Amino acid sequence: MSNIVNITMVIILLSVLLSLASNRLIALVKIMALQGIMVSLLPLLLEHHSRMGSGGLIFFQVMILIKGALIPGLLYVALKRVVTKREIEPIIGYHASLFAGLIIILLSIFITERLHLSLPKGHDLLLTTAITTISAGFFLMMSRKKAITQVIGYLMLENGIYLVGTALTKHAHTLYVVEFGVLLDVLVGVMIMGIILHNINHTFDDIDTDHLNLLKD
Amino acid sequence: MNIFLLALVIIVMGGILPLLTHRYMAFTKWVYLGITMIGCITGLFAIFSAPAKLQGMAWSCSWLHSFTLAFACDSLSFFFLIPIFLICPLAVIYSCAYFDKAENSIRTAVSFFCTNVLIAAMSLVTLAANILSFALVWELMSLSSYVLVMYDYEKAETRTAGYLYFLFAQAGALLIFAAFGVAFSQTGSMAFDQFATLPAEAKLVVFFIAFLGFGSKAGVFPLHVWLPHAHPAAPSHISAIMSGVMIKMGIYGILRIYFLLASGDLIIGQAVLVFGMVSGVLGVLYALGKDNFKKLLAYSSVENIGIILIGVGLGMIGTAKGNVSMAGFGFAGALLHVFNHSIFKSLLFFGAGAVIKKTGTSQVDHLGGLMKRMPIAGRTFLIGSVSISGLPPFSGFISEFLIYFAAFHGLKHNNITLLLIILAIISLTVIGGLASFCFTKVVGIVFLGEPRSGKAAQAGEGGRLLTLPMVILAGLCLTIGIFPENFIHLAFAGLTDIVKFGRVDTATIDTVSANLTLGSRLFILIFFVILLLRKLLYKNKEITKGPTWGCGFTQGTTRIQYTGTSYTRSVVDFFRPFTVIKETKVQLRKIFPGRTEYLRRIEDIAEVGLHRGLALPLLTLLGKFRWIQHGKVQLYIGYIILAISVLLLVSFI
Repeated sequence: MSNIVNITMVIILLSVLLSLASNRLIALVKIMALQGIMVSLLPLLLEHHSRMGSGGLIFFQVMILIKGALIPGLLYVALKRVVTKREIEPIIGYHASLFAGLIIILLSIFITERLHLSLPKGHDLLLTTAITTISAGFFLMMSRKKAITQVIGYLMLENGIYLVGTALTKHAHTLYVVEFGVLLDVLVGVMIMGIILHNINHTFDDIDTDHLNLLKD
Repeated sequence: MNIFLLALVIIVMGGILPLLTHRYMAFTKWVYLGITMIGCITGLFAIFSAPAKLQGMAWSCSWLHSFTLAFACDSLSFFFLIPIFLICPLAVIYSCAYFDKAENSIRTAVSFFCTNVLIAAMSLVTLAANILSFALVWELMSLSSYVLVMYDYEKAETRTAGYLYFLFAQAGALLIFAAFGVAFSQTGSMAFDQFATLPAEAKLVVFFIAFLGFGSKAGVFPLHVWLPHAHPAAPSHISAIMSGVMIKMGIYGILRIYFLLASGDLIIGQAVLVFGMVSGVLGVLYALGKDNFKKLLAYSSVENIGIILIGVGLGMIGTAKGNVSMAGFGFAGALLHVFNHSIFKSLLFFGAGAVIKKTGTSQVDHLGGLMKRMPIAGRTFLIGSVSISGLPPFSGFISEFLIYFAAFHGLKHNNITLLLIILAIISLTVIGGLASFCFTKVVGIVFLGEPRSGKAAQAGEGGRLLTLPMVILAGLCLTIGIFPENFIHLAFAGLTDIVKFGRVDTATIDTVSANLTLGSRLFILIFFVILLLRKLLYKNKEITKGPTWGCGFTQGTTRIQYTGTSYTRSVVDFFRPFTVIKETKVQLRKIFPGRTEYLRRIEDIAEVGLHRGLALPLLTLLGKFRWIQHGKVQLYIGYIILAISVLLLVSFI
């Protein structure tokens, strides 16, 4: 069992690194779909979640559907409508981003150790993965200019928060408060960014967030 | 209690209804009016049916699993509930006539809804029994009244006024909650009745922070700046509710926090007294200098809050000194003035609203001669003016007399207290005199003389719905003036639960009220005797009527009449150090004179001071941080990361 968990976490980490290095927006959306599925599968594979009622199962299925299909689907539709297909002129280059991703992993390991949390057995790596995902999400949002990459960075951030939730909690999943909250956040976020995306594209024929500068006081 | 809750539910339901059926406004209006009336009458019934069992009216419920909202009723809440359920339904009747345009029905519906929410919130404010429920309903009250002020939101002036009101309401709420926070940190309990266990120094801190907060709602002098802006901007019946009832919630808060703390410190009473005197004198002074009808009334509210605070301050000093009759009459006078002011101020705002609605202007100097054209509005306004000036035999006299009475009881003390009490008596007389002067100006210029503009000449009486509330309120003013015993006893009944240390014996109250009754009735008698004498003396003489200010001119013009500025100039000049007067004048200089001109504007020193001393420096300071908002999304996210890293560093080190 622990092997599968580790493999999933490695896939998540790889998807993070891949998203930092990729410049095609379509590829980014696909990576996000993969990451979403992996993130929502992870709780199912963990040991303390093995005893789970049908309600829990349905919940995780819905989770997989939303994270793996609905949100990437929405992004895909949004991408089809806009002209831009590539992230050009990033603020931080792709190789530098990849390198930064590696540093982020190291930093996350450091932070996990310094936090001194009493985690359930085998969850150290899970927390490291979670923090890496959060930080990489932030990094992606900071270092790219296109609005759609910002959305993807935001999604990654929320994935990380979801992972932290699974890593730290040990409850029997009678109350999915954290998960529902994260899900709602993500959906609202995607909706809002979708509207912004549409409006920037409509007004400026481009989805570059630099145009948002005009909106300040 | 159940009946009371039922009343609130009816009121809120009545407010929701217009939102749903705003398409059929003409019909909905009547249903709304009916439901709200029923709700308010039920509320009055609930509090009057069981005045002896007020303590039984307590209930609490849990909110969000972790908090309790507690409500309880005592005699003070009971007293403050009366004006709420008395004035608000009249304002609602008035509003149905006031909002007669069909085009913006949705806006009217929202205004109706917020009015009813405001009524419910105000009545809950008087009942709140712990910090959390008070904070909740207080905010509800502020927010719903903010929406009501913003009715004419297309006008830039209204938006500024609304924003100013919002700032003051929220800053006040901030101070109130800060005071509660101090109390909570000491007692660790949300309940109000734990406040008495605070240490003495903490009591002072809590009281003064809360006083500033409640003072900004009530319109105490340096914090009254929002009043003269919000009242002219709001529809008239909203001004009536806000000025007549809502700002009294500030007074309620001050009284409530004072009695909860049960602090015997003399400084509290002295400070409140000083604030009262300053608000009273300066409020009426600025009222004199204003030429906008509703602005003038707003400043007059500041003045009356001053009178109420003088009463409250005298009561507090009496409590601290152990002077039972001074305390009793001070508090009772203040309470009765709260009740009276809610009646005549809403009457005056209704009158002003009727005039503004019919003539389309609120500038006093564009009106004139309305007494003949709007007889009911004019006469009821006159009654309100006489009452607010504190002249017998109307209601204002009774409450001001009680406050004077308290002050004279305090003359046996010495040192600074004596000085303050003498000053209080002097300022009460100054306020009374200036208020009479101010309202002779309004009545004289607006209702007497000849019309100064075409609109004023064509004005006519409003409909029955518009005049009915005014007639009722004017009748109340006279009733309180002629039959004061019951109302004085009512005011003392408002004190029964809260004044702990001793009661004024009923014999004294009875003597005072009997004498007052006699005085008022003598005045009425003298009035009728003079009327009769006049009839008799002029019986066989020929009476001719000519135009006002005719004076034998062949080419009379309305411009020869006094204006507001010219009427008040001498008085305003006398008080020059307290007013910022801006004049533009072109006088006669040469042998062949040109056109002369005189324009005067009186600035409020509190407003100018707050603007120069607080708002401008703050704006300059914050302007220096403008670079933080640069519009780059990426760097905004950087701020978040920076904050997280700093927090992580703090937790690591």
